[in-house]
Amino acid sequence: MMIFVWLLQVVLTPIAAPLFIGIIKKIKAKFQNRCGANVFQPYKDLWKLMHKDEVVSKDASWIFRYTPYIIFAITIVAGASIPLFATYIKNTLTGDFLLVIYLLAGYTFFLALAGMDIGSGFGGFGSSREMTVAALAEGGLIFSLLTISLAGGSSNLFSLADQHMILKNQFFLPVLLAFCGFFIVLLAENSRFPFDNPSTHLELTMIHEAMILEYSGKRLALIEWAAANKLFVFAALGANVFFPLGIAQNDSVCAVIVGVLALLIKVTVFCVFIAVLESIIAKFRFFRLPDLLMVSFILSVIAIGVM
Amino acid sequence: MNALFLQLLLTILFLSIVFLHITKKNFAVSVTYGVQSMAIVILMIHSFFVTGEASMLLIIGLIFTFKVIIAPIFLVKLIKRHKLTFSVSTYLNTPLTLIIIAILTAIAYSQSFAPLTNIIPDNKILLQIALSALFLSLFLIINRKGAISKIIGILALENSIVAFAIFAGLEQSSGLQIGIVFDIFIWFTIAAVFLTMIHKQFGSLDTAKMRHLKD
Repeated sequence: MMIFVWLLQVVLTPIAAPLFIGIIKKIKAKFQNRCGANVFQPYKDLWKLMHKDEVVSKDASWIFRYTPYIIFAITIVAGASIPLFATYIKNTLTGDFLLVIYLLAGYTFFLALAGMDIGSGFGGFGSSREMTVAALAEGGLIFSLLTISLAGGSSNLFSLADQHMILKNQFFLPVLLAFCGFFIVLLAENSRFPFDNPSTHLELTMIHEAMILEYSGKRLALIEWAAANKLFVFAALGANVFFPLGIAQNDSVCAVIVGVLALLIKVTVFCVFIAVLESIIAKFRFFRLPDLLMVSFILSVIAIGVM
Repeated sequence: MNALFLQLLLTILFLSIVFLHITKKNFAVSVTYGVQSMAIVILMIHSFFVTGEASMLLIIGLIFTFKVIIAPIFLVKLIKRHKLTFSVSTYLNTPLTLIIIAILTAIAYSQSFAPLTNIIPDNKILLQIALSALFLSLFLIINRKGAISKIIGILALENSIVAFAIFAGLEQSSGLQIGIVFDIFIWFTIAAVFLTMIHKQFGSLDTAKMRHLKD
């Protein structure tokens, strides 16, 4: 049973992640009075890209060539390091919240390096913008999870999810405030509105897309897949660390099934919220983004202060 | 679970005031006030179930009609009429505003205000949130330059006082409460008339630009 659960823990992120990108796109299409592609379209896109030839610039170094594999691997490890559907599998090796944060920072680091590696103007400014946002988002992310960590007296994400802090009277407000801070960072780290427009290639607005413009074929597929994984990891982190309702606390088959279903429902709710948000608000000007990330940081600071 | 629900309502009150500090659009300000007032109405419904006073229903009905429906709609119409989509800025920039919000919250939770928040020890957490909301509303009135934001700040302050009073056991008689609601209604009407006159005279609702009030 334990082997099966661990296997599920490792493969759930890459298997489920593209579906949620499809859900977001579908809801956004509905908001635009379009029928929209099937929610499984991202899987078909990945399949198509995997079978395409690719063009790699002669100026590209090993960083450009290996980055897709590195960031994809990072998202798989990050996915396995957070409580997805069960808390009783205590991952003491990579389950520390600081390790997960720095794994995800590693993702951003390599992507930004790859953006600059081939020397194109787009890649350069994309990387510059990405690192600016990432540097400002880091504080909010660390402090939001630190709030939970201080409340739970542990830095292991599985232990923290196991304690159901949101249901404790004295931690209710701090957890909600920290979650608000976390959600802003989720949008920033995953290049969603109002930080970035994931469906544009307009040089004035793009951040994430600018860094991956030179990629094609299999490597582009891996990058797109890794981006989907990252969104899933963040959503699962938010869903299970802040609102761990339904998560399996014992090794019974029933509890695990409920845990998986609860995770999928919670992540779907996150995706619906993101899609609605992206449909009703405009992208912020780049120079207004630090203010929003400051809000995230201060909310987390207040959360620690009121504990 | 009941205590958590009450905390959730107060958290909505608290976060809505934080949002009022950072939002740039007057429309969002009006809608946020409506949401915040709805949280207060639900708090009062809870209070009704605890006390069982039938007259509370009348007060709840009045508050709901005025604060949740009339006031936001009236403000939105005012914003549309004068094309005041964007609010004027704050005296302090956003980072400084946020830092002061954090400091005010810390003060509300500090030992200095323990005598206030310990009026009913069981409600200490709730009173602390209500007190911080009260401080943030005061800061909102001071920090915002726009007249609409200042009016909303005063109304948010009143909401915070209501929330504090409910949990501190300072609820007044029904007659007095109806009088207060009526008072706010009259105050709001006069404020709205003044807003229109100020806009006609100065062409703006930015209070920082009103330097020749004698004219």
